[in-house]
Amino acid sequence: MNPDLQNQLLHAQTRRHFFRDCGVGVGKIALASMLANGGVPLAQASSSDTPAPPHFSPRAKRVIYLFMAGAPSQLELFDYKPKLKELEGKPIPPSVIAGQRYAFIQPDAAVLGPQFEFAKRGQSGIEISDQLPHLSRVVDELTFVRSCHTDLFNHSPAQLFMNTGNGVPGRPSMGAWLSYGLGNEANDLPTFVVLKSGGSLSGGSGMWSAGFLPSKHQGVPFRGEGDPILHISNPAGIDRNIQRDTLDTLERLNSLQAERTGDPEIDTRISAYEMAFRMQSRAPELMDFSQETAATLQSYGAKPGNGKAAFANNCLLARRLAERGVRFIQVYHSGWDHHSNVAGGIKGQTRQTDQACAALIEDLKQRGLLEDTLVVWGGEFGRTPMVEASAALGRSQGRDHHPQAFTMWFAGGGMKPGLAYGQTDELGFHVVEKPVHVHDVQATILHCLGIDHERLVYKHQGLNFKLTGVEEHHPVTDLLA
Amino acid sequence: MKELKPNARVAALLVLWGSLSAAAPSVRAAETGESLSFAREIQPILARKCYACHGPDEGDRQADLRLDEREAAVEYGAIVPEDSENSSMIERIFSDDPDLRMPPPHAHDQLTEEEKQKLRQWIDAGAKYEAHWAFTPPIRPELPKVENSDWPRNGIDHFVLARLEKAGLSPAAEADRYTLIRRLSLDLTGLPPSPEEVDQFINDQSPDAYENVVDRLLASPRYGEKWARLWLDLARYADTNGYEKDRAREIWPYRDWVIRAINDDMPFDQFTTEQLAGDLLPDPTIDQLVATGFHRNTMLNEEGGIDPLEYRYYAMVDRVATTGTVWMGMTIGCAQCHSHKYDPISHTDYFRFMALLNNADEPDQILPDETVTKKRAELQARIEKLQQGLTEQYQASISPSDNETVEEVYHERFTAWLNDQQQKAIDWTVVEPTAMQTNLPRLEVLEDGSLFSTGDITKRDLFELTFDLSSFNEPITGLRLEVLPDDRLPARGPGRAFYEGRKGDFFLSEVTAKQNDEQQTFNAGSASYGKISIGSGTAEAANVFDNNGSTGWSTSGREGESHQLLLTFTEPVSPDAPLNLEMLFERHFAASLGRFRISFTTDRKPLEAKPYNAETEALLASSIDDLTEADRERVERLFLLQTPELEKMRKQIEQLRNQMPDYPTTMVLRERPEDNPRETHRHHRGEFLNPEEEVSAGIPLLFPQIETSEPSRLALANWLTSEQNPLLSRVVVNRQWQTLFGYGLVRTPSDFGTQSEPPTHPELLDWLAVEFRERGWSRKQLHRLIVTSATYRQTSDVPAEQYQRDPDNRLLARGPRFRISAETIRDTMLHASGLLSDKMFGPGVYPPQPESVVALAYGNEKWPTSTGEDRYRRSLYTFIKRTAPFAAFTTFDGPTGETCTVQRDRSNTPLQALTLLNDEMYLEMARAMASDVTGSVSSPPDVIQEMFRRLVTRPATEAEMQTILAYYERQQAHLKYDPAAVKAVTGKDDSDSTAAAWILTARLLMNLDEAITKF
Repeated sequence: MNPDLQNQLLHAQTRRHFFRDCGVGVGKIALASMLANGGVPLAQASSSDTPAPPHFSPRAKRVIYLFMAGAPSQLELFDYKPKLKELEGKPIPPSVIAGQRYAFIQPDAAVLGPQFEFAKRGQSGIEISDQLPHLSRVVDELTFVRSCHTDLFNHSPAQLFMNTGNGVPGRPSMGAWLSYGLGNEANDLPTFVVLKSGGSLSGGSGMWSAGFLPSKHQGVPFRGEGDPILHISNPAGIDRNIQRDTLDTLERLNSLQAERTGDPEIDTRISAYEMAFRMQSRAPELMDFSQETAATLQSYGAKPGNGKAAFANNCLLARRLAERGVRFIQVYHSGWDHHSNVAGGIKGQTRQTDQACAALIEDLKQRGLLEDTLVVWGGEFGRTPMVEASAALGRSQGRDHHPQAFTMWFAGGGMKPGLAYGQTDELGFHVVEKPVHVHDVQATILHCLGIDHERLVYKHQGLNFKLTGVEEHHPVTDLLA
Repeated sequence: MKELKPNARVAALLVLWGSLSAAAPSVRAAETGESLSFAREIQPILARKCYACHGPDEGDRQADLRLDEREAAVEYGAIVPEDSENSSMIERIFSDDPDLRMPPPHAHDQLTEEEKQKLRQWIDAGAKYEAHWAFTPPIRPELPKVENSDWPRNGIDHFVLARLEKAGLSPAAEADRYTLIRRLSLDLTGLPPSPEEVDQFINDQSPDAYENVVDRLLASPRYGEKWARLWLDLARYADTNGYEKDRAREIWPYRDWVIRAINDDMPFDQFTTEQLAGDLLPDPTIDQLVATGFHRNTMLNEEGGIDPLEYRYYAMVDRVATTGTVWMGMTIGCAQCHSHKYDPISHTDYFRFMALLNNADEPDQILPDETVTKKRAELQARIEKLQQGLTEQYQASISPSDNETVEEVYHERFTAWLNDQQQKAIDWTVVEPTAMQTNLPRLEVLEDGSLFSTGDITKRDLFELTFDLSSFNEPITGLRLEVLPDDRLPARGPGRAFYEGRKGDFFLSEVTAKQNDEQQTFNAGSASYGKISIGSGTAEAANVFDNNGSTGWSTSGREGESHQLLLTFTEPVSPDAPLNLEMLFERHFAASLGRFRISFTTDRKPLEAKPYNAETEALLASSIDDLTEADRERVERLFLLQTPELEKMRKQIEQLRNQMPDYPTTMVLRERPEDNPRETHRHHRGEFLNPEEEVSAGIPLLFPQIETSEPSRLALANWLTSEQNPLLSRVVVNRQWQTLFGYGLVRTPSDFGTQSEPPTHPELLDWLAVEFRERGWSRKQLHRLIVTSATYRQTSDVPAEQYQRDPDNRLLARGPRFRISAETIRDTMLHASGLLSDKMFGPGVYPPQPESVVALAYGNEKWPTSTGEDRYRRSLYTFIKRTAPFAAFTTFDGPTGETCTVQRDRSNTPLQALTLLNDEMYLEMARAMASDVTGSVSSPPDVIQEMFRRLVTRPATEAEMQTILAYYERQQAHLKYDPAAVKAVTGKDDSDSTAAAWILTARLLMNLDEAITKF
């Protein structure tokens, strides 16, 4: 069967027959059965709102992705390079920098030494910066990858690349792929939720777009306080009784119409309104942090309603969403773009984020959620070993964008804890051991959720698209427990 | 594959085309089940499961075998016609040996048993190849015979009915008049009919009542608005640049052009040519230039530090894919990284196609605007009046002593000032360079001796200019750089910055002079003005000779003005040898100069920049007695305006100048000059950083070639609309069908290639394609033809079994029924509430939406919610911000303008329910509708009926009426003792529960499935 058509048919069938035949919230369309007649390459995944079995046994059921937008300096946090101190003020040898492109600096800029002290932490003895006192506590739970690299050296494209596998907006994001591939586990909440704190996000809404996938798979931005979802509250003056009466009357009227015309779309509409009502009922409970103990709030540094604690609040909300079965929780925190005064910048950002990151890991673990929740931390690229300084821009002691090497960490969801993986050269410039490309990162995340990234594909405009692009990429199985 | 000469490749393809008589007969053969059709049954299997390794892509081809060309497959022995036993392909696909079996066991795409049998059967029947149906020109098919000859109203119905009768089915009954006028109004104008329009139609007894409605709607200006929106989906239209900053851009004149063109029923071939190549038409009109905005709708990355050429390349990639999709229904974009896996489009073909589109510059076009002209003339007249009064005013401020007249004092002061200025004036000589070199941009010398830069610019531009100074008799003491405005530059220049910084800005990092390879240093600099954009740096003149590329001079904030920079040589330079001047522009964004002029002087006075331009300085440098009357007046005005006595006047004049409105601009394409074409290369793996050999422009070799020696965008447009392009009319007709019926006759509207789904009604598609072309590419006639068919007029009220049997209405045994688009939902509600403004055209507007929507976008921008009429404009005028699209539209599957959208999703989700129920914007409309309707009728059933008809068109049935009435009464009772709720619902202090209950009732009806459905 033609794949485009297959996309449509599956979508139509599952959408139409799902509600009528199975009632709301039930209905299984096995991923395997989507592999239509004899090995079509397309894992045309479920378009229903219910979970579909993955390709193989998953290690994680959900993802909390702490996206550090702006690109934190690995050289100040995770990838200690004493050699840089030694060479400080001298240019990097031309053999290293030949052919590299930079956003702001000239490639012959001088080396800048690490701005902070590092020490070995935990049983694993993994060396991280003294700016991360809280994370140091949970270092044995984490899996560090110091050999990440990417293709793009500007924020917007690189953020899009990390989120959608492509540097130009318009492709489905990882969360949308997972929603498409695995369906919804949370009855009354969206599958894919987006939280944001810090400054502006370069990649924009393209980062949680459904792209060419059915639009229902797009990420739903939640606000950290008040109404989490757009229009989740009734307009003023309309209480729950009126809303209920309205929905009941609507159902009666729509049912009358359904008797005249056989279009099953009417039943779907009735069900969608019911689901909306349930989401309305559920949202206040979700946002009610008073259910949390003072100790929990304190461990995160969460302060409901306080914008300065937005990241901590979002981490706590992320855990609450995880508990309620939300599949993909994307937490963005911007403010890591330290072109000038990288030391001050890192201090400021770690103050805002270090405690909550560590608390999230501990909290998930304590609740038994860490084993099937994959936590991911990372930016869109790294920072240069060279200093950035510019009179015109008033910059000094900063670091420019560096796609050649950066560090990410993972926790839970079947990852091997207490591991530091991959290595950069003594300048932290190039990866010299076990390189992990962005597409490998994405393949690994999908793998943890039981999805073969090669088989999660969607036919669009003549091509079989997948999150991880056309080149060969692999999940990094060495990282898995 | 090497780039074959077009003729050679065509000859090669003739093998494939050889067995072809016409595509249609082969499809017919398949229809009647006579034998296996290559096009319908065999090619899809081969394309899907074999071509990836044995197809058109020479790069990935295995074992040197290709199965997409019969001759090659036969020669190889893979296929032995009429002898499957000896065909190695058959042996391999049936093999049990995993080392031999094809496709190999690791391939995802395995053959089914049925497919294997089909391939065997096909080979035994002679292994006939045929050209893919869509690659052969459509030929008008005969109208098929039908049994129920009363049913057809026009040709369309013959094809539809013949197919139904073959399947043993009959068409549905004609829909009732309510349904018909609703369907027509929504389809042709994007708005539901008003109850008055409905009544008129219901009561129209004339035989052509239906046609009259059709013609009225086709003539309505709303028609262009409705169909323009669909075209804008394809054009990926938006009002911002996309990517990180996503700043606003001015390209709404393009949107307005589309609306006008469609309302004027511009023939589709002309519509095509003007958008792709309006600038290349002879003496193009402004409108034809505006039309080229189609391909300016690509995104622009304004992030600091990007490589502008890289993102220009991505825009080109988008243009190629979009052109292929929109005008050919071809997935040409697939060949960006390697030759197409399924369709015969090579990697080189892809870049040849790109070359057709790649030779344009991308300027802003200033547009005429009567209002602006009038306003400017008005202001100019006021300025002139003030200036004429300057002398008088000044003289009035003079109190002469007894022995002097006012005139004498005036003359004395003026002469003193003039003498002083003449003393200071420097005698500059403009010198044109004898040689000019740059890293990439092209410099040309204009008549006034200035240099103008065109072509591409980079983050590090270097201009190297050589001057012959032999006309000077004395050593050169300094040079003057004038930076000059020009209408062709962004924001009128003088710089060429077009992203990240201010438009029209420049940043001059360093100026280096050399004579006989020895550097001639500067020791002083002076500038008439200096400011840099972005960052805290200074803009001192001396920055350009401090050996630091990160400091420099710029005139940011004063775009569209001329300014000057003077540099003094440490040691005067001999005029006897040529002088080389290097100008370096180096920043984190591309910012070299667009227009500038170099002068030299031998003057030994200190070189100070003047607050006036070079022409005035030249005047002052000459003797006052030589001045013309006009020049003298100019000099006098200059004197007057700098006097402390006239400071107030000066400020007034300045204020008036600042009020001068700018003309609107729009983004256009402009073909590059003949002597500076842009090269196009093939890029290895399609990657920007991997350019390979240069390619010449041309159409994919699969098709008959453009017959001109120098193919351009115009040649491409002419080719696309010629009969040599077998796809255009089919693709366009199919999209119109899709809009009206919900699905195209080809269900893969962006792909008519070998991987596409064959049309449900191939002959109907071809018949319509020929009709469309022969009716002069008239969209209105095509729409009229379709909507007057019996097929279109069928009811969609059919039993559930019929929906189940054919969920996507492939056989067209019923009328269309589906949810209306995001914009049409809002327009419908505005229309029903009486709020809808019919104001057309102009910049985007900002209907209300929650602040949190744009708060997610970069830069925490505000959404400047429109007030008054603009709040209620038709939805296609809503400002489209790519990174924060209007929430009520995205929720209902509206596009974001990032890529060409051929088919929108039609989802049905809880978030849509929340939007219609709870969005303040819709509550506002419910209030307006309640107030409007209760203002004209009073009895509750009448109010309900009027609301119902405004939204759903038909009157409510008795059962519906009772249900709604009961709801209304319950709300009224519920709210009776809750004044706070009443106040909140109505938004008014002095309101009652009746008013509130009507608002809730309007809200209820706005949420009906039928209110947002075309049926």
